[in-house]
Amino acid sequence: MVSFALHGVGVSGGIAIGRAQLVSHATLEVAHYTVTTRQVAGEIERFTLAVDEVKRELEGIHAAMSGGDVPGEFGAFLDVHWMILNDPTLSEAPKKIIAEQHCNAEWALMQQMGVLVEQFEQIEDSYLRERKADVVQVGERVLKRLMGRPGVLPAAKAEEQTILVAHDLSPADVIQFKSHHYGAFLTDLGGVTSHTAIVARSLNVPAVVATHNARQLIRDGELLIVDGNNNVVIVNPDRAVLAEYRLRQNEFDLTRQKLKRLRTKPAETIDGVRIELYANIELPDDLEQALENGAGGVGLFRSEFLFLNRDGLPSEDEQFEAYRTVAEGMAGRPVTIRTFDLGADKQKAGLDGLSRVAPNPALGLRAVRFCLAEPRLFVTQLRAILRASHYGNVQILVPMLASSGEIDQTLVMIERAKESLRDQNAPFNADILVGGMIEIPAAVLAMDAFLKKLDFLSIGTNDLIQYTLAVDRADEAVSHLYDPMHPAVLRLIALAITTATRAGVPIAVCGEMAGEAQLTRLLLGMGLRHFSMHPAHLLTVKQRILQSDCASAKSFVDRIRRADDPRKLLGLVDRLNV
Amino acid sequence: MQVREIEITHRLGLHARACARIVQLASRFRCNVALVCGRRRASARSIVAVMLLAGAFGSFVRVETDGPDEGAAMAAMERLLRDGLGMPA
Repeated sequence: MVSFALHGVGVSGGIAIGRAQLVSHATLEVAHYTVTTRQVAGEIERFTLAVDEVKRELEGIHAAMSGGDVPGEFGAFLDVHWMILNDPTLSEAPKKIIAEQHCNAEWALMQQMGVLVEQFEQIEDSYLRERKADVVQVGERVLKRLMGRPGVLPAAKAEEQTILVAHDLSPADVIQFKSHHYGAFLTDLGGVTSHTAIVARSLNVPAVVATHNARQLIRDGELLIVDGNNNVVIVNPDRAVLAEYRLRQNEFDLTRQKLKRLRTKPAETIDGVRIELYANIELPDDLEQALENGAGGVGLFRSEFLFLNRDGLPSEDEQFEAYRTVAEGMAGRPVTIRTFDLGADKQKAGLDGLSRVAPNPALGLRAVRFCLAEPRLFVTQLRAILRASHYGNVQILVPMLASSGEIDQTLVMIERAKESLRDQNAPFNADILVGGMIEIPAAVLAMDAFLKKLDFLSIGTNDLIQYTLAVDRADEAVSHLYDPMHPAVLRLIALAITTATRAGVPIAVCGEMAGEAQLTRLLLGMGLRHFSMHPAHLLTVKQRILQSDCASAKSFVDRIRRADDPRKLLGLVDRLNV
Repeated sequence: MQVREIEITHRLGLHARACARIVQLASRFRCNVALVCGRRRASARSIVAVMLLAGAFGSFVRVETDGPDEGAAMAAMERLLRDGLGMPA
């Protein structure tokens, strides 16, 4: 076995050593055979069935995503894929080829894909030409079905690390990563913002992309070293190299281990300011990871994830069980349950969700607006949360509030849920704390009602950025304008923290910004004392807090707030992190 | 039949999501909607055909609507092409 190295772009750091698992390119191995006149109808039927199965596959993936644990752009891509699948050029033309040429369905589809790809190749505009990838991905999905190999990724073997090697990973593949434990990802295509990169980073797994021909050069089962820090992949390493990398891997793991030792250490700055570090969770199962990383509480329980992989609404009892599990698991530490953050398009997963596209979902009937429009659904959830409040330190967090009227309506709903429980003599915490998400600039600029009527606040930076800059980051055409460091965003966050703190109302940040160690000092300097983030980031942020000084961060941040030149601002943030 | 020439003003041209929106919109009308870009012609109900038009930034697309609700379809297509393509879906 020859040892060689491949270079690419490391989009997620760390070192992994493991066996290659190739995700096969269905197109390479398609057989061609003729069928008899009598078999033609059966062959067409087989093709139709495969297309239908892929339709269901895509719908299933779409339904599983409705909770929103993946960037919204995947939803849009899936819509495009679904439409391509339904396009006669892909779903009808091969049938004609089967009938005319008496060939097998796979071959007919291959030929038709070839025709389409050739037409795409003639397009001059390079960006539009590359859209052929979508057509190929959809076609391959059908091919895999026809060949009895559904387009679901193979599960990683448990005994040793498995490294996924693929030409490219489609958005649909990406959704499945959560349940498979790959040691690293390797793709021929891709860049820093590719799906592979985003997912690898969120899973804390090394990834090298843009290796050009890794998939052709690497064979199934070969030993690989993936070094995401140095953009390199070593195939069949010799003993010396392997030993060297095991050493490096150990060092890397040791750093992680050291972080683990911080688990029980209180998060306190050099100047003795105590910081609360909470975890964002999606399902009761995430609790384990939160506790392993020393979460002081759950700052954001994204309850809409209870909708995952199902058609109907979870019943009150089902919800109650989920909330109670988390409440008991956190043993008296705060559990902040955010009420459903659903949009009208996510109301019913499956077919409806795919075909109905709200004109502008981010500005439409979503989150609390949707809940207030569907009082039965809302009261059911509130009752479930209230019932769980008997078993732990449960709090209610309401998303997307913009106005005083919405707060009043929400509080009335909570009262209504409480009354119905009282009528039934069901136990609950009558003094349950109710908080609001600060996600809309209006909420920051007119915070009085929030401060008067709510017990605590939590800034959702992702939406706050989207609404402040009028940028849908799921829209590839404008996503480059999505900028957490925009002066307006920073000023809004700082204003929210200052206003709430002055009024004595606790305020947290629970968006992605809270989990970025690069921004920890900036937020500390703005006066933030309460962070909630993905459990994977808790210890890194804690380490940063232990090395920070609130007073000096504050004086620095005052200068940053005055900076209007973005470059100067970024320079100041860099210096803050030194 | 109604015919109108419209300039593509979106930087990325008729990108995938834009094509999806065109097809979704065209499917709401009963009349036939066709798009012509240079020598290529596409039914606005086929996403692959619309993608293959390769309508690039700054080029012109001819919209043809033919059928009972051709006026409304033309107005809607024009609105989408003129300012809708960059908007979130």
